[in-house]
Amino acid sequence: MTDETASTGGAAAGDETGRRGLRIAQDTKRSLTLLSPTLILLILALAFPILVLIVLSFWTQTGMSLTPGFTTENYEAFFQKRIYYMLLLRSIENSAMVAALTVILAYPAAYFVAFRIKRRKVLWLILITLPFWTSYLLRIFAWKVILGYNGVINSGLIQVGLIDEPLTFLLNNRQAVVVTLAHAWAAFAILPIYVSLEKIDRSLLEAAADLGENPLWSFLRVTLPLSLPGVIAAALLVFIPTVGDYVAPKLVGGNNGLMIGNIVQTQFGRGNNWPLGAAISIISMLVITGIVCSFLLLVHQAKRRLA
Amino acid sequence: MSEKALSIEDMISRARAGKLSRRQFSQMLVAAGVTLTAVPVATRGARAEEGEAFYFTWGGYDIPELLEEYNEKHGAYPDTAPYASSSEGLTKVQAGFVVDVMHPCNTNMGEWIGSGVIQPIDTSKLSHWNDMIPSLQRIGERDGEHYFAAMEWGQTSIAYRPDLVDLQGEEESWGILWDERYAGRIGVLANEGDTWWCAAIYAGVPFDEIDTDENIEKVAALLREQQPLALSYYDDVTTMEQSLASGELVAAMTWNETPTRLIKQGVPIKWAAPKEGALTWVCGASIVTDAPRVDKAHDVINSLISPRSGEYVIDAFGYGHSNVKAFERVSAERLAELGLPRDPEKLLQAGKFQTEMSIEFQSKIANMFSDIKAGF
Repeated sequence: MTDETASTGGAAAGDETGRRGLRIAQDTKRSLTLLSPTLILLILALAFPILVLIVLSFWTQTGMSLTPGFTTENYEAFFQKRIYYMLLLRSIENSAMVAALTVILAYPAAYFVAFRIKRRKVLWLILITLPFWTSYLLRIFAWKVILGYNGVINSGLIQVGLIDEPLTFLLNNRQAVVVTLAHAWAAFAILPIYVSLEKIDRSLLEAAADLGENPLWSFLRVTLPLSLPGVIAAALLVFIPTVGDYVAPKLVGGNNGLMIGNIVQTQFGRGNNWPLGAAISIISMLVITGIVCSFLLLVHQAKRRLA
Repeated sequence: MSEKALSIEDMISRARAGKLSRRQFSQMLVAAGVTLTAVPVATRGARAEEGEAFYFTWGGYDIPELLEEYNEKHGAYPDTAPYASSSEGLTKVQAGFVVDVMHPCNTNMGEWIGSGVIQPIDTSKLSHWNDMIPSLQRIGERDGEHYFAAMEWGQTSIAYRPDLVDLQGEEESWGILWDERYAGRIGVLANEGDTWWCAAIYAGVPFDEIDTDENIEKVAALLREQQPLALSYYDDVTTMEQSLASGELVAAMTWNETPTRLIKQGVPIKWAAPKEGALTWVCGASIVTDAPRVDKAHDVINSLISPRSGEYVIDAFGYGHSNVKAFERVSAERLAELGLPRDPEKLLQAGKFQTEMSIEFQSKIANMFSDIKAGF
């Protein structure tokens, strides 16, 4: 308000630029003030722990005590034993499958709400996210109930007479982990895809129809490309956190579904080797960052080629 | 303020000197104000003897039935929190969780006393101390100081479904858990404190030589052989019991409480007496070095080793108790049903008695077993 009156009542030109400079400085100051709570929180809750982790990863531990110093032996240990990179690889594969599955399943749901629902969209969005109001652990247990030996699927199939013995390949393996995680993170995929679908200018679709495009082609050539930012965001939102998940593998992964997060947990727990755990975490973070960056680069290049 | 600054300087100098316990490391983080939100319980220490004692224990033992005497004395029950294994509990305490009493087992003593996590118990404060089975009193003793008050003892063996497992006329053996006919239907405990030792029994490794490199490799090889046969490695026996009841598992390595509970539910289950011997363990209570309520901690322990708690442990869990008088409170029929003799010394001597482990051995097998569980 005061700025407005100041500029409308403007005097000499030189005075004007001075004020503008002042205003920019004020804006910067104000935005910094507005940002500072977030910034402080980010530094405290993100940057500092990562710093601690980096420092820790160069230390060593004997028995219960940590020895500060500088050694790269924890990083060497990662590559010396097959288990660590094999598990990291398995975790990345799992999460890639989870991300793909989640996006494929989330897209129709988001599409439905964005295009077919005309009224009470918020209500629909709330309904979709309703399962996510319960705890993560409960949702995993729900999957144990569904996929289990005496679970919903098995007892259903036995009742119908399709099988005599319960199927054992449903639970306690990698697929179970992928299915559980895909469901657990579905909301994180539906919402960004919904937002990008919602933003699409409907007149573009009308134009496509007017120009004689059939619905399938107008979806593939108009809707899908325009919603890609949402799809990419959804894939990343699901992929990044699931690589490090250790709860779902522990509960539904059985004896061959374990992931890198379980190993990190052991190192900080019974294994009594925090520095090695820190090193494994950092390598995982770097690898994930690398994958995400190359993925984004690929998308960027593909876009340029199309344009 | 100056005091705090001093202690931080002190820590930095200690870090320079090259030794820093994980607890001190966590304290450094607290000093920096980072873990304040992550470990809110750490501030509990400031309240000194106020409030009730905190009993940090194995899941299932955080129940009022074992703490009645404490309640009578103080008019309230201790605060409790459960853990899935004592090593898990230790990790949390070292990361800054302030508690008074914990529930370790005899194998932990070397590690726990050695690293200074627990302090001597003043046995003169325990009215039930003199009723304890003498051989159990000696566990966790160092130079006349007692760091451990034994509470319950039991066995790790095999619970199997006699209707689904065919012994083919052979004696019961640990081999059931390595039988390829039951691939994918075998349950194993996730903590090395049980599994490693049971595999050592099956491998014929004597416990006093369990920590030689050769024997470690021998046991590891057996566990690797078992990995593809196991359905899952269990942290909680409840999940395992459900799978045994449904028939998804035909046999599992577990503790006495599993058959005790499942028989009560009418599930056909047998508690094996393997020809190689079952694993016998003793667990009990210790006072944490940094316990803010040492007096009340003694009352918690006295309550745990009381005949009344003993009666409950015997009847509900099927375990033996350290208090001789506890056995007098249980009927002879019930004891016979549970396979517990009135004179427990005999049974204790008959089993393969678990010994203390060093920190190095514990960390080593924990790491190896964790790799084995993941299939490597």
